[in-house]
Amino acid sequence: MKREISDKNILDKFVDDFVKVIDKYAKYIIVSGFVAIAHGRSRGTEDIDMIIEKIPIENFINLNNALMNAGFECIQSSEPLTIYDYLTHSTSIRYTRKGEFLPEMELKFAKDSLDELQLATRIKLPLTGLDVYFSSIEMNIAFKEELLKSDKDIEDARHLRMIYKDSINEYEIIKIKKQIGQLRLREAKKYEKNF
Amino acid sequence: MTRDKSHMEQVERWAEYVKNNPDWKKKHTEFINAQIEIANRFYKNLAKTPEGREKIKELRELKMKN
Repeated sequence: MKREISDKNILDKFVDDFVKVIDKYAKYIIVSGFVAIAHGRSRGTEDIDMIIEKIPIENFINLNNALMNAGFECIQSSEPLTIYDYLTHSTSIRYTRKGEFLPEMELKFAKDSLDELQLATRIKLPLTGLDVYFSSIEMNIAFKEELLKSDKDIEDARHLRMIYKDSINEYEIIKIKKQIGQLRLREAKKYEKNF
Repeated sequence: MTRDKSHMEQVERWAEYVKNNPDWKKKHTEFINAQIEIANRFYKNLAKTPEGREKIKELRELKMKN
């Protein structure tokens, strides 16, 4: 869905500009709270969450340089090797426009086959008015209902179910939930046992 | 996305900024307003679809229940 430049607010422009750079170097998806807000949920988010495919260090250095040239900076470090180290250790990295605090993009590498599936099934959602890739509605619902489970997440899931009730693939949600159980919940239990 | 330590570090950085920069409110309002604008834009787009207005009505009812 194309919109006029004048329609864009600071968040639209931030997401557009960031995605334009990322798109040249890696497959990406926008996930979590921003998906809910872009579907009309009246709640706030502190950042925009993005997952990108794992890329080699050489490509990441180019990506980071391109982001810097486009006016973004990583909050944690200006050293690409350090930033890459964060990513490969499953820690998020955060970019803002240089010298700004808000908005902020939180970026992570895909960490397992479930994230890879999220990237493979990514989708543009014209109702949002944003020309970017999101994780599928089924993925969003499954993660919110099966893994995240806070009141806010359950409400987000119900909201999405209502909007897309004519097109949701329930079988797909069940399949994803099963994978979440196998990959993420098992991992979370292991982590709890160690502490 | 589940939260890691970078979230708490960011909360602390923002709190520090709020403490030292009186312009924080303007930036914060702009950011929150942008989120509200994006949410409102969605409803405008949804209203143009078949059954869009009916869905908006249902969403309002759901919100009231929550």
